[in-house]
Amino acid sequence: MEAFLFTSTLKDYMRPARLLPWLILAVAAMALGMAWKNLDPESTKIEQYSNVSFILLFRLLALVSAVFTTAIISQEVEQKTIVYLLTRPVPRWKLLLFRWFASVAAVTLVGAIGVVLVSIGVFKNPMSNPMFLGDLWAVFLGALAYGSLFLLVSLLFNRAMIICLLFAFGWETSVPNMPGEIYYASIFSHLQAVAQHPSPKDAGNRGLSLIAGELNANALSAGTSLPILIIVSVLLVAASAWWFTRFEYVPREDAE
Amino acid sequence: MITITNASRWYGQVIGLNDVTCEIGPGLTALLGMNGAGKSTMLRMITGQIKPTTGSITVLGQEPFANPEVYKHMGYCPEIDNFYERKTGRQFVHYLARLAGYSNSEAKQRTEVMLEKVGMSDRADRKIHGYSKGMRQRIKLAQAMIHDPEIILLDEPLNGLDPVGRREYISLLHDLAVEGKTVLVSSHILYEVETMTKSILLLHRGRLLATGDLRVIRGLIDKHPHRIRIETDEPRRAAELLAPLPNIVSLRFEPKEAGIELEVRDADAFYTSLSNLILDHNLRVSAFSSPDNNLESVFKYLVNT
Repeated sequence: MEAFLFTSTLKDYMRPARLLPWLILAVAAMALGMAWKNLDPESTKIEQYSNVSFILLFRLLALVSAVFTTAIISQEVEQKTIVYLLTRPVPRWKLLLFRWFASVAAVTLVGAIGVVLVSIGVFKNPMSNPMFLGDLWAVFLGALAYGSLFLLVSLLFNRAMIICLLFAFGWETSVPNMPGEIYYASIFSHLQAVAQHPSPKDAGNRGLSLIAGELNANALSAGTSLPILIIVSVLLVAASAWWFTRFEYVPREDAE
Repeated sequence: MITITNASRWYGQVIGLNDVTCEIGPGLTALLGMNGAGKSTMLRMITGQIKPTTGSITVLGQEPFANPEVYKHMGYCPEIDNFYERKTGRQFVHYLARLAGYSNSEAKQRTEVMLEKVGMSDRADRKIHGYSKGMRQRIKLAQAMIHDPEIILLDEPLNGLDPVGRREYISLLHDLAVEGKTVLVSSHILYEVETMTKSILLLHRGRLLATGDLRVIRGLIDKHPHRIRIETDEPRRAAELLAPLPNIVSLRFEPKEAGIELEVRDADAFYTSLSNLILDHNLRVSAFSSPDNNLESVFKYLVNT
């Protein structure tokens, strides 16, 4: 049952029509990686890769996660197909958890494809990218953390996608750049710490630095961020499972 | 099997179900009520999708809300016409069979049996988005029965079915009832329910107005005169022939003599007399109808009783 829940959901997420937009964006990221050398001839390959990954890849990770995670329950409620799931002999927490695992796997896969393509674009051979494995790990943790947060949001609010996008592009862009230690409250800052990219040599272009979340010095270490991301993810998923088991999920307009 | 005790359900300021108490056992029971009467609310509460605001509901002795143990014994065919449209009918039923806990091979086998049972075997490989309303209803029934549940709840299942499809569907429901299953079917069409079962629950504006045998309720209604409209091009002759009948309470000519409107007691006896008159006296009747023969009138009679 658990394996079926996971694989059937993953299969749905892996439909070509669903994956294609993300693959196109990953190819665009690769093209940007290839073009960066021309845009900034003095930059090293590591800087080129680092800029593209933080400006584009990890931003897209939040977006992919928002789209895939809200599909777990919100989309079923909107399409009114939730009734078929909720009237099966499957505990609700199990239904939620294994569908969420599938969404994390799908987001990780899309993110990993992005990392591979950008690495190819900049380094030709991905394995010659010293940040390659670290970024794959960060992509997985990002999928986990964004996924758990967006899961809870999608259970709590009707227009979850709007809130998720505001978080992904508003909160996650501004908070890492804010003074003080508020960046602790940003998943992006923790992902930066886990990925351990070299610090930017020159923050001359403040626009790019803002998008890359590098305006403020990030004092987080991988040793601190890793447990924070995992613990927060586990707590958020547990809260989501509890909420989903306890409350009603019937399209409101159906109520007589 | 299903016990509802003083159950009420509020949607904010609106009441969906109002202090309903009843028990539903094996056999075919119809949940009858107009649109907005609370039928779907009641079915959603029994299927554990929503909770009663007050009161309680038990299914096989357990509270149904989010209770997988109850769902093992319950099949539900919702009123909504929403599906995973990209799936074929076969994939849809198989998917829900897997979610019912069957292995892949078992689910495949059961899917074939169910598709055969609902008459969809030959069309099950088409995508659902191309299905007619009737085909969708059949697929919904197949998914509800896939795990051979003891309790089957069907929300307006006959909507969109053609007459042959309705007959087959009703026959299938009868078979399930004969097997000893508890089948609860909601409908807002009195005639439809009459062809299905004699055991009904009558809901009106969230309240359970009557329960039991439809004939008893019909009897209550028959205490009141029924209105019957007869269209004929010879209304005066028709009136002359009809007036002596013992069931006639009143008789009125329609403007421009397009027909006559009668008030009769014991409508069934009157219809027998009417058909005899038509045959014996060659009376030209182009149509007749009973404006009272609808649920709204039933409720009006029952509320005024």
